[in-house]
Amino acid sequence: MIASRNLGFVAAAATLLAAAPLSSIFQRWTWLVQAAIAVAVVAGVAALARLLRAPLWGQALGMLAGLLLALTWLFPGGTELVAFIPTPATLAHFGELMQGSAQDMRSYGVKVPDTTPLLFITVLGVGAVAMLVDLLAVGLRRPALAGLPMLAIYSVPVAVYVDSVPALPFVVGACGYLWLLVTDNVERVRRFGRRFTGEGRDVDVWEASPLAAAGRRLAVVGVALAVAVPLAVPGMTGGLLDQFNSVGDGTGNGRPGQGGSPGRIDLFAALSGQLNQSEVAEMVKVTTTESSPFYLRFGVADELRPDGFRVRPPNGRRVDRDLPGVPARQGVAQQRHRATVEVSRNLTMPLVPVYSDPVDVDGLSGNWLYDQNLGVVFSNRDNSRGKRYSFEYVRSTFSPAALRRAPSLPAEHPIAVQQTRRPAVQQVDLLVSRLIEGKRTDYDKVRAIYDYFSRDNGFSYSLSTKGGTSGQEIVDFLTNKVGFCQQYAAAMAWLVRSAGIPARVAFGFTNGTGAGDDTWVLTNRNLHAWTEVYFDQMGWVPFDPTPAYAVQGANRSAWAPDSDAPDPEPSGTSAPGATPDDPGGSAGPDRPDAADREVDEGFDPVTGAPVRRTPTWPWWTAGGVLALLALLSVPALRRVTLRRRRHAQPAPAAVAAGSGDAAPEATGIVVLGADRDRARADAHTAWDELLDTLVDYRVRVDRTETPRATAERLVRDALSDDATSTAAVRLLGRAEERARYARDPLTGEPLHPALRSVRGALAARSDRRTRLLAALLPPSVLLRWRLAVAERSSWLVATGGQARYRLARWSPRRLLARRV
Amino acid sequence: MTQQTWDEVGGLLPHDEFRAASEAIVANIEQVIEGKTATVRLALAVLLAEGHLLIEDVPGVGKTKLAKALARSIDCSVRRIQFTPDLLPSDVTGVSVYNQETHDFEFRPGAVFANLVVGDEINRASPKTQSALLECMEERQVTVDGVTYQLQTPFMVIATQNPIEMEGTYPLPEAQRDRFTARIAMGYPGPEAELAMLDGHGAADPLQELRPVSDADTVRRLIATVRQVHVADAVKQYAVDLVTATRESPELRLGASPRSTLQLLRTARAVAALEGRDYVVPDDLQALAVPVLAHRIIPTADAQLARRTTDAIVSELVHRLALPQDRKRTQYDAPRPATGNGRPPFEPRRP
Repeated sequence: MIASRNLGFVAAAATLLAAAPLSSIFQRWTWLVQAAIAVAVVAGVAALARLLRAPLWGQALGMLAGLLLALTWLFPGGTELVAFIPTPATLAHFGELMQGSAQDMRSYGVKVPDTTPLLFITVLGVGAVAMLVDLLAVGLRRPALAGLPMLAIYSVPVAVYVDSVPALPFVVGACGYLWLLVTDNVERVRRFGRRFTGEGRDVDVWEASPLAAAGRRLAVVGVALAVAVPLAVPGMTGGLLDQFNSVGDGTGNGRPGQGGSPGRIDLFAALSGQLNQSEVAEMVKVTTTESSPFYLRFGVADELRPDGFRVRPPNGRRVDRDLPGVPARQGVAQQRHRATVEVSRNLTMPLVPVYSDPVDVDGLSGNWLYDQNLGVVFSNRDNSRGKRYSFEYVRSTFSPAALRRAPSLPAEHPIAVQQTRRPAVQQVDLLVSRLIEGKRTDYDKVRAIYDYFSRDNGFSYSLSTKGGTSGQEIVDFLTNKVGFCQQYAAAMAWLVRSAGIPARVAFGFTNGTGAGDDTWVLTNRNLHAWTEVYFDQMGWVPFDPTPAYAVQGANRSAWAPDSDAPDPEPSGTSAPGATPDDPGGSAGPDRPDAADREVDEGFDPVTGAPVRRTPTWPWWTAGGVLALLALLSVPALRRVTLRRRRHAQPAPAAVAAGSGDAAPEATGIVVLGADRDRARADAHTAWDELLDTLVDYRVRVDRTETPRATAERLVRDALSDDATSTAAVRLLGRAEERARYARDPLTGEPLHPALRSVRGALAARSDRRTRLLAALLPPSVLLRWRLAVAERSSWLVATGGQARYRLARWSPRRLLARRV
Repeated sequence: MTQQTWDEVGGLLPHDEFRAASEAIVANIEQVIEGKTATVRLALAVLLAEGHLLIEDVPGVGKTKLAKALARSIDCSVRRIQFTPDLLPSDVTGVSVYNQETHDFEFRPGAVFANLVVGDEINRASPKTQSALLECMEERQVTVDGVTYQLQTPFMVIATQNPIEMEGTYPLPEAQRDRFTARIAMGYPGPEAELAMLDGHGAADPLQELRPVSDADTVRRLIATVRQVHVADAVKQYAVDLVTATRESPELRLGASPRSTLQLLRTARAVAALEGRDYVVPDDLQALAVPVLAHRIIPTADAQLARRTTDAIVSELVHRLALPQDRKRTQYDAPRPATGNGRPPFEPRRP
């Protein structure tokens, strides 16, 4: 009875601990007080029912009644008798509260305030869980099952927070569960009386039970596996750590996009939302060695659908591995720079901003991937919040002459196919054909379109227009000629695509305010969109058609000068910035848009194939097979080297008749001591080799047999009618016997030919499987390894046991009691 | 340690002479005992090991004949004692009688004052009489009336007895049994040997025609040669292991004595020498374990109830006991495989 009462108390406490995850949902702690009251009532009623020896169903009914009373008292409807006796009206009130809670769940986001319906549903749930836990743990004595209702509580925050679930409350709940399990087990064991070891020694209460050693080892192995497997499997790394990082996260305050996969963000919506915010929030601080960098970019929209430009799910390789380099291009000046970026807590995106063409990234985990085609760094499970990283990048500076030399992209080129795809809008096509009339090169066509977005043509900047990049909206923009960066960028990209030249919209930050030391502070006002146009052999070249006067920190380049400036010629002072892309790796359209496959892609080594990446799995398979073969051949190699070494022993020298430094114990025949030792060692070696050969060919080796007996047995059983090998094995036996037991070992005998003969005879009489195994996986080597492993592990167990026993002397638990 | 070479040791026999002498004795005995070469050689080995031999078997298989044949083959003093239930200790050791002429007691030596003493049907005498043999067998001396008389060398007691189950026998005391180096059984002869026996023994007793082929001096030199046989450390270790195993066997109430270890090794030396080796191998010990050890040990009541003979127990021990593996290693040896502390991974727990 005392045990049950104790267990009931632990069950109630464990339930409350398991309710800890709810703390991440409520703003205040009122729910905990009320839930504690309900749980206490339930546990008290259960204890009382058990005291009265009520049957299990009686206990359940009692607890149900107790819970009802507690709920009536906590959430009165005004019609109760004596404040806590429910009436039918009370139940109706509860029904209203239930409906109200469903409504509140829809109307409030986390963290929710203390509304009566939500508190009611919480207390009801926790009380029901307390009932179930009590019934399972105390009534049925199945505390392991009680984990299920406890887990149900945890599923509430899991359902609420889609992407990041707080882990710390779960740990608290798990501790409660473990407490319940341990208590139950201790009760169970104590029913048997005293604990003692296998040798009959009593176990003090402070000592761990030796009977549970197997369980402990299993637990250790299980936990180690659970930790090691996600670390070993690529793509699962960091899951645990990220959970800890994001404790209390997920308020979603002011972040662009909805989180989740980077492919599902509406960057346009995020951009206009940020630009329209009244307050200025610092987003990124960037330090670079470049004096006047071009825009910091984080996203690309290159899929043009009838409703406008959309972001495709990126895929790429891990940034903590080598990134592809940037090929040198004719007429393009390339310089390497280094930049450090600190993302503030205001920017939470599955993308991080980088300058174009990063070649080396530090400070980002393997969760971050780099899409070479889009030039973006993204992650499927991490976000940019609070990240600090540095990277090296290649800044390409194009010249108009070089761009002019660039040939047109063939129409069947995958980039041309994909990046010129657009819905047919007649007004746009008419406008483009008018604009590019008479222009021969791609660059001239692009410049004509670019220059079209100028003040002379009536374009002006305003944030107050409606965003959107669908066909109708573009036509509206081209008609009204008022808009902001996203409309300029999208319109130019659309127009360039109409001209048959690949183009896309890039997102990022303009250069913000300098904070000295080449450090730039970028706010939400610096968010920007611009156009990138693809030139063959040049890559993606940025053009910013938005009026420069309206954009903070705008930067214009030599090949795309400010179309509103009085002097269209390139100014020598500011001419940085361009984003070429490696045309070699741009096979975007050929790739399936599988967002889940980036991880695999990230593993691929750089192959440098011109258009299509060669599949690398055959290499991996071949390498794996080779590695497997190498691993399998290790025992055979070990056997061969052992045999070689044994054969390489110097042949025993002939008996020397000298008496100079003769060994004194020699009687009769005087043998040089060294030669005798050598002959002895040689015989031992030959015998060892013979025994190993026997093991290899599955002939019994008996440690109680003398060499002579072994040789005779072999003659009798294994080498029945082969005269040579019979003589050989007898010779080996005699040599070993004399080496072991006689004053003078056998010298000058051909032991190695004898060994060969015996091995040949053994191989001849054994079946093919045995022969194959003896050659490939020699049982002698395996046996020796197994013995060594057994030896080592038994040593470990022995020393571990001693150490644990010594440590146990210092355990504070021994102060608890002398004996139990 | 300086050891003598073959040339320096006086009285030692060269290899071929040893072989010739020993083979001559064996061949001589085999004229009488057909088809029992192993038993005969073992008997000779016991002689060369300076031990005493107990021949136990059912009546009529040639125990006494073997004893007498061995005695006759060697030209030395031979005495025979027929152990009867009324035999007195003084009949064995000798007695002081009053000489009326000299008016003094004078010692009349008993039957043990000889090189070879054949004690027939030894277990038909009472334990009192048998205990007269204790001193002479172990210490090779006889003390009568406070005077100690040394016995000659070689000195060997060859006793025959019927198994204890036969009627009219007393069990030998443990101390007495322990003094016998080996107990051998004759066993029935094979069919051919029995046929040959019928032919040979039909007309005349071949024992009467047996002539000595050796003498006491030769035997002494043989014994000296046997003492020089080399025993490696591993073999000594094996002997100790074997004897220890009998002491620790759960089936045995009394294990083998340290004296038995000595005698085991001594007999092994003799056997090795008879086989023409100058070193002892564990095979010798294995072959000798049953003759040398089995008659000294006493099985527990449980083992007796299970009808386990001591012979079976000892031969099982021999089959179970591993050879000592720690042989001497030299710098030419291949490196040892890593075996940790040299113990087997799981040591058998001792009872």
